[in-house]
Amino acid sequence: MSAMGDWIGFVWGWLATHGDIIIIQTVNGIVTGMILALIASGLTLIFGIMDVVNFAHGELFMLGAYVGVVVLSISGSFWLALVLSTLVVALIGAALQITTLRPLVGRDPLNTILATFGISLVLQNYALWQFGPVPRKLDEPITGQFVLFYLAYPWYRLLIALLSGAIIGGLYLFLKHGTYGIWIRATTQDRVMAQAMGIPVPWVHTGVFAIGAGMAAASGVLFGPLIGINHAMGLDWVLKAFIVVVVGGMGNLGGSIAASIFVSLLEAYAAIVVSPAQAVIVSFVVLILTLLFRPTGLFVPTPK
Amino acid sequence: MSAPPTPAEALVAVEDVHTFYGKSHVLHGVSLCVGRGEVVGLLGRNGVGKSTTLKTIMGLLGPSRGKVLFEGQAITGLPAHKLARMGIAYVPEDRRIFKLLTVMENLRTGLDRRGVTEARKQELLDKLFAYFPRLAERRSQAGGTLSGGEQQMLAIARAMMLEPKIILLDEPTEGLMPRMVSQIKEIVEVLHRDGVAILLVEQNVPLTLEACQRVYFMEKGVVRHHALASELTVDDAVVHQYLGV
Repeated sequence: MSAMGDWIGFVWGWLATHGDIIIIQTVNGIVTGMILALIASGLTLIFGIMDVVNFAHGELFMLGAYVGVVVLSISGSFWLALVLSTLVVALIGAALQITTLRPLVGRDPLNTILATFGISLVLQNYALWQFGPVPRKLDEPITGQFVLFYLAYPWYRLLIALLSGAIIGGLYLFLKHGTYGIWIRATTQDRVMAQAMGIPVPWVHTGVFAIGAGMAAASGVLFGPLIGINHAMGLDWVLKAFIVVVVGGMGNLGGSIAASIFVSLLEAYAAIVVSPAQAVIVSFVVLILTLLFRPTGLFVPTPK
Repeated sequence: MSAPPTPAEALVAVEDVHTFYGKSHVLHGVSLCVGRGEVVGLLGRNGVGKSTTLKTIMGLLGPSRGKVLFEGQAITGLPAHKLARMGIAYVPEDRRIFKLLTVMENLRTGLDRRGVTEARKQELLDKLFAYFPRLAERRSQAGGTLSGGEQQMLAIARAMMLEPKIILLDEPTEGLMPRMVSQIKEIVEVLHRDGVAILLVEQNVPLTLEACQRVYFMEKGVVRHHALASELTVDDAVVHQYLGV
């Protein structure tokens, strides 16, 4: 009992002396979690509706950032860059879906995995050829900071979290209300019956792929100012997005969002005790534990 | 018994259709037709290809040979969503309502079409809810929470939202209580009165003979016999030959 008391005393003491860093890491975790959620929702939406594991998702994120760089350098407006990049990459996504994925409908999933992997290689090398190996910089639209304990914390980071939340909220409203939302949800549940009800399923697939691509692009532009922009920037993020999509339950939108924040918070807290590079291991541990003990996902109701 | 007259102008005509399900050859040259506003039954034992025939008409399975005509036009190879817009509705055997969508959203999958005005939508819904007061009560409930009979009602109601010229109805009374069965029969009669043609696949022979004008009997992937429903009784030798156990 006294050993227990010692422990509680120790933890309390630690928390009291590290309160500032815990709060800072909570903010960091939520910001990263929201941007991850934005990437992952596109990925999980595409998987949920057409069983396509989109290995090119990270490259759409990267492409979005580059289109943002180009538009920003021409127009000087970050917000225009965000909007145009989302639209341009959504159109590119639609074109990719029509030319490479639509002909593969009904084939073994391995075919679509190879196809999207091929797309990712093409896009990556296109970016390398077009923009070169030197990382580009995307300037943040607001440079103000506020004081968080001893840190000067950029307002822009909070803005990212808010905008990501707003975009995800918009997606939710779009899916929940209106004819196209009903079409998408009906197609997710029963593709064949949706088609028999007159829903143009091939176009629903194209539309969803375009939405997912646009969301990846938006996150690329939003996150661009915090990370360097180069042709390989998609790899890290899409890997993390895959982890949270699996942890959240494949194809489950709410689960992916919850898992994004959960995993990002865990990583942020782990970074207090170990180095940030080692903290990344946490997300893999969560992934492995999820696959071992709850392969359907952490944030889904227990299947009956 | 001579073959009964088939309608001069067929709404749906199936001509010598062969369909494979994966590698197994299920339909071996099925031919049948349904006239405008006609209720036609398709009888036969389990596994003779009745459901496959409906799926082939709906464009969910592509025939390897033969063709399907709708209003005289070949529709073989057209995707199901185009056929649904042309006026063919499908109520599958296992109902396949969208379980996570509300009753109203299930109906809207068929209702939200180009060229349907809001007033017309409301008119269709009012008429529907008059037939199915249960669905009106449960309009904002998820489809998956309905009872089996209610789900069957919803599956038929959803098909009606397409304002179809023909409904392909696959075993609508399977697993339902007698009270629900008689309600299904009433709906078939209402649809018939409204001029909607029906191709009905059923195991319930008395209901089929009462509800239909003509019946086809299938065996081993082909239509073997064809008769006016009024000339048959439940105990007919023909009925025993194709359905008896």
